[in-house]
Amino acid sequence: MGGDLNSARQLAKEFTCSKRAAAAAVLAIVLAIVLASAALAASTTTLLPATTNTTAPSGSDQAAGSEDLTTRCLTCHSQEYLGTVQDDKGTQNLYIDSAAYHDSAHGLLPCNACHTGFSHDPHKMVNNAEFFRQTANEACRNCHDDQFEMYKQSYHGTLSRGGTAAGEKAPICIDCHGTHAIQKVGTLEYKQSISDVCGKCHGGREATFLDTYHGKAITLGRESAATCVDCHGAHSILPVSNPQSTLSEANILPTCQKCHPDASKGFSTFLVHVKPTSTKAPLIVFAVAVFYLLMIIAVFAFGGIHTLLYIYRGLKDGMYFGKGGGH
Amino acid sequence: MSAGTDAKEGMRLVYHRFSPFHRFNHYLVMISFFGLVLTGLPLKFKTSYWSQVLMDAFGGVAAAGFAHRAFAVVNILYFILEGSYMAYFVLGRKGPIFSDDSIVPGLKDWQDMKGMFRWFFGKGPKPLLNRFTYWEKFDYWALFAGTVLIGGSGLMMWFPEATTRVLPGITLNLALVLHSNEAFLATGVIFIFVHFFSAHGRPESFPADEVIFSGYLPVEHYIHERPLEYENRLKAGTLDQVVRPAPSKAKRRMFGWVTGIVTVFAFLVASYTLLLIIWPLFF
Repeated sequence: MGGDLNSARQLAKEFTCSKRAAAAAVLAIVLAIVLASAALAASTTTLLPATTNTTAPSGSDQAAGSEDLTTRCLTCHSQEYLGTVQDDKGTQNLYIDSAAYHDSAHGLLPCNACHTGFSHDPHKMVNNAEFFRQTANEACRNCHDDQFEMYKQSYHGTLSRGGTAAGEKAPICIDCHGTHAIQKVGTLEYKQSISDVCGKCHGGREATFLDTYHGKAITLGRESAATCVDCHGAHSILPVSNPQSTLSEANILPTCQKCHPDASKGFSTFLVHVKPTSTKAPLIVFAVAVFYLLMIIAVFAFGGIHTLLYIYRGLKDGMYFGKGGGH
Repeated sequence: MSAGTDAKEGMRLVYHRFSPFHRFNHYLVMISFFGLVLTGLPLKFKTSYWSQVLMDAFGGVAAAGFAHRAFAVVNILYFILEGSYMAYFVLGRKGPIFSDDSIVPGLKDWQDMKGMFRWFFGKGPKPLLNRFTYWEKFDYWALFAGTVLIGGSGLMMWFPEATTRVLPGITLNLALVLHSNEAFLATGVIFIFVHFFSAHGRPESFPADEVIFSGYLPVEHYIHERPLEYENRLKAGTLDQVVRPAPSKAKRRMFGWVTGIVTVFAFLVASYTLLLIIWPLFF
């Protein structure tokens, strides 16, 4: 009995010791992680100017103090209280999420890589959003000339040049790609954002897309699922009515076959942008959808009522608990 | 609880309701149904947080899609088995097709349903139920029809290229609407509105009915639950075909465990499904 007690004490002691050892180990690991991340952060910070210098456009005098410039701009513009102001030129968002900017695809670029033409007294040069919109495409073009040439030939690009009412609404680079939080293409998050981006102007089309298998799969994280741009094209997008469109009568099948090599003509007549419960849907699709809607309501309602009444009677007659129940 | 256990311990005779074949089929239905719902429903409720959790747990959409097809194969298997049994029963004239005893709905089911509603409101006695009640017939045929519709549309979407080589592209639109709605209907019927309650939750069998897992139920319970079948068999002298000595204690305990585990699992799956569906309404 006493021996048992002793060995128990011994065990308890060992346990305490091993607990201490474990605690020390955890502490050491946490410390190591903190130190390592601090070191990493420090090295990234020191790397920044070098990288910035190489990626900044035209290694002119602008580049020399570019990291200073970004820091200087963000001194004010990363203050949330700047917020959004409304003036006769429209809405201007003056606040820039510093962390999101540094995480973006352009995170290593200085402000004046895109906001060209100023370095010392920026507010005289870029004093409103409209001015920047007018110059934005040119700024993008400095690095992304190929994409810009494709865009210029596209429907979006043609609209922009028109100077018409439609042209006013036509998207420029930043309308699709965003600005300070511009995303790296090819990531899942980027692909998941595409339908929302298109939906900003093509309202309702994104909802019908999201209800197809492609839309459901991309929403839940299947990276390889097709989004708007895989069928419609991206920079060189054209209306489906245009014979050059990726979805024109002549081109639609090869477009499907990019992912579905065995697709035939019939395959390409699948209707992506259909809301089954809308009267605009093909009659048979609409009929089946409405039939099910009514059927589901009827069956659930009847089943639910039947169940509740059964439970009510069972409780009232004491069939669940005790007298006269079951067996 | 103790009363039920005592009754079971003292059980002398049991009524054999389901053959091993039908119990085996029910296991297949169960496995494939749970699997298909868990891998399929997240697609329908794609914006629900719990859909994402489930998809990630399966290892992503592609992996869940593979599992969905694997469960579909199990589904096809039980459908072939049950279909073959049906053909064997009908062609081999194993029993009358239109009788009180059969699974085919008849006039009595309509009268039973009216009788049950009268009983619910205390306006009459509980109707004398036969071998298959109207809600059991509903379960059976709804599942049968549902399997044809969901299975057919599912196969179309599994092989979209082959399907549209023969049929127009709108077939796939129809297949999706049908598959998704019918699956939602089936999930609601099985998990919430009909089956789980009518099989396990109703007062006569609460909290769980062992009969589909063990195949038998105590004779006293049988007389109480299927009075008309009992009476008919008594008159026809066919009771000895279905009433047998109770199996061993160990066997009964095993079926108790099986029923318990399946019931808990089913309850968890149904709760999760319900959570997944209603989550987007609030968040």
